[in-house]
Amino acid sequence: MGNPVAALVRRLAGRHSEGDRRVRRGTVRVAAASAAQASATVFLIMRRMRAPLIVLIVIFAVSVLGLTLIPGQTADGEPLRMSFFDAFYVMSYTATTIGFGEIPEPFTYNQRMWVTVSIYLTVIGWAYAIGSLLALLQDRAFRSALALQHFSRKVARLREPFLLITGHGRTGELVGRSFDKLGRRFVVLDVDQERIDRLELGSYVSDVPGLAADARDAGHLAVAGLGHPCCEAVVALTNDEEANLTVVMAAALLRPELPVIARVTSRTVAERMQAFGNPSLVNAFDRFGDHMRLALRSPAAYQLKTWLESGPGAELPERGTPPASGRWVVFGYGRLGRELTSDLRAEGLDATVVELAPTDADGADLLVGDGSDPWVLAQTDLDRAVGLVAGTDNDTTNLSLVAAARRSNPSLFVVARQNRPASAPLFAAMDIDALLVPTEVVAHEVYAQLSTPLLWRFLREMPGMGEEWAQQMVDRLTDVCGTRVQTLWKVRLTAQDAPAVESWLATGEATLGALMRNPEDRSDPLHAVVLAILRDGGTTLAPGEEFVLRPGDELLIAGWAAARRALSTVLLVEGVLEYVLTGHRVPAGWIWRRLTAGRRRSDSSSDAARGRST
Amino acid sequence: MNLEKVVFGFFVVLAATLNFGFFLGDIDDPALHNPYELFAAVVVNLIATVLKFGDRTQIGAVHLATSLVAVLQLIAATLLFGYATHISSAGMNESWTASVVSLSGGALLANIISIVLLVVETVSFHRG
Repeated sequence: MGNPVAALVRRLAGRHSEGDRRVRRGTVRVAAASAAQASATVFLIMRRMRAPLIVLIVIFAVSVLGLTLIPGQTADGEPLRMSFFDAFYVMSYTATTIGFGEIPEPFTYNQRMWVTVSIYLTVIGWAYAIGSLLALLQDRAFRSALALQHFSRKVARLREPFLLITGHGRTGELVGRSFDKLGRRFVVLDVDQERIDRLELGSYVSDVPGLAADARDAGHLAVAGLGHPCCEAVVALTNDEEANLTVVMAAALLRPELPVIARVTSRTVAERMQAFGNPSLVNAFDRFGDHMRLALRSPAAYQLKTWLESGPGAELPERGTPPASGRWVVFGYGRLGRELTSDLRAEGLDATVVELAPTDADGADLLVGDGSDPWVLAQTDLDRAVGLVAGTDNDTTNLSLVAAARRSNPSLFVVARQNRPASAPLFAAMDIDALLVPTEVVAHEVYAQLSTPLLWRFLREMPGMGEEWAQQMVDRLTDVCGTRVQTLWKVRLTAQDAPAVESWLATGEATLGALMRNPEDRSDPLHAVVLAILRDGGTTLAPGEEFVLRPGDELLIAGWAAARRALSTVLLVEGVLEYVLTGHRVPAGWIWRRLTAGRRRSDSSSDAARGRST
Repeated sequence: MNLEKVVFGFFVVLAATLNFGFFLGDIDDPALHNPYELFAAVVVNLIATVLKFGDRTQIGAVHLATSLVAVLQLIAATLLFGYATHISSAGMNESWTASVVSLSGGALLANIISIVLLVVETVSFHRG
């Protein structure tokens, strides 16, 4: 991925249609306007340095000229005029306050008077020039212009595929961190300078270019690489719906072929975004409702989904067992409450809604009142409920609701919404059965969609396989890899990516089980599980050992990082493949291969003879 | 009338005229080339260069380039002059004088280009 030669070849080979070129030119123009704005500031700074510099030159010239004109004396009393060089030398060390003394001869009183005047003049000149230079360096406009130039240079130099992420809040940071762990590059745009500063403190593995600028400006987007040939996707994660909409618009108009993922909370904005191309929209509440439905129907599938979505190195989450029948009590009928109530009812469960203001609860039982009021709480009849949703937008209320409800019915299945990251430890201590953290839901969704397209397909098709299948899958993964998914990667069985296996695949007897062996000792299986295989647009989920591989297959594999390295050796080095398949150690060098070729032939013939005799 | 343009034109022309004044005369005769004139040429050329900072037009860029050339040549000339008077045992003889004056001649060429640019800019300026 990071190979500059490969990148060059890709660029040379890339043929762009006329429309493509027009679009590219459009983004280049927008970027150029933004860059010109930055260089304009630099020119302005140069203009502002004119006055101090001219003052300095004039003061120097006057003092030097005066020193050469004023007559001096040698030690013997001979008249002596200072040369230009002597005068310049004296003025240089005097003006810079170094002060070597009276050189080359002690001064006369005439000269001393002049030097006194020029000391004050030159010190003022220097102070003025240096002061204005420092003031300019501190200048906000100048600094942001410098930052913009630095940033656009960094982005322009990127030679590997990268993501353009707008918004580096909680969500943006989570997404960035997962992609950084995968070794992928990304560029960040955020309005807040503090968040951009956090990039440097964030200790990412790769260098992350970041710019504090408004993403609503198409010029900033273009500078951040919207027009860059290596930009592979645009992710809009700002807190501002309008800004996200603008990013979606800009991406759809300037680079229609790029995939766009946007975070969205309101339906109207979602519809406005849909008008531009086909962006993938992530609504945290909507997705959480879907997750709850999946959890109600098939807890193991939900467990597997959250595990794989959480990014590299995530611990296996506990498998919750939400009650599949009974009555739920939903506190707060906002965006989350509305979504969950309709999802619960769609699954055939009853729901009682508690909300401050009377609203249309769409057919569910509605209880108007403050949920934290003990009387209202008693009215909800929690003793006979099976589940509770604490879905208000206030963390304190949610926590106290959960505590009060648990006291009256400890066996409740509790769903709670965490609004602020600072409350995370409190919610963790509460041991909530299903916790909604909107930022994390969005981050996981973005990761699942962008990490590899195969994972996204796997996660979409997996729930259809049923609860039992999902349980087996989780067991298999924990058996082979432990309770942490170290890494998730994709292997393509093409002549370019896997040259060693080409002829073996062509035999039609290439089974998956034979390939997934440890190249150190083939009796050990690799610590990796093939999650899905993509062939001719169709996917096979969790193929078995007997699955026959064919050239061109794409494999999605989860497992140890060591297994990834081992598998890539098997796919690249023929000798290793030979060992993995047959158990013969094949020497790598030509001479040894020649020497052992004869011996092996005799070995196999004697094997055959033995086979016949027994 | 634009005061900025007046100051700009004044310094550009003065830089060239002072330079010309120093250059004039037999190339190897030190009596004909006054060091004060060289000093004035250096100072005025420096000021003219600083005045050309921060102009974003194409012609402004060429202006700045010619001035930088002139300043470089003149500073080289003063360095030679200082070497000849203070370090060289021969003193300010004919060959040293010729070197200093020929360097200032190069600077004069750059200054003339600068003036040509100034004239071209003025002539091509259309009112309204």
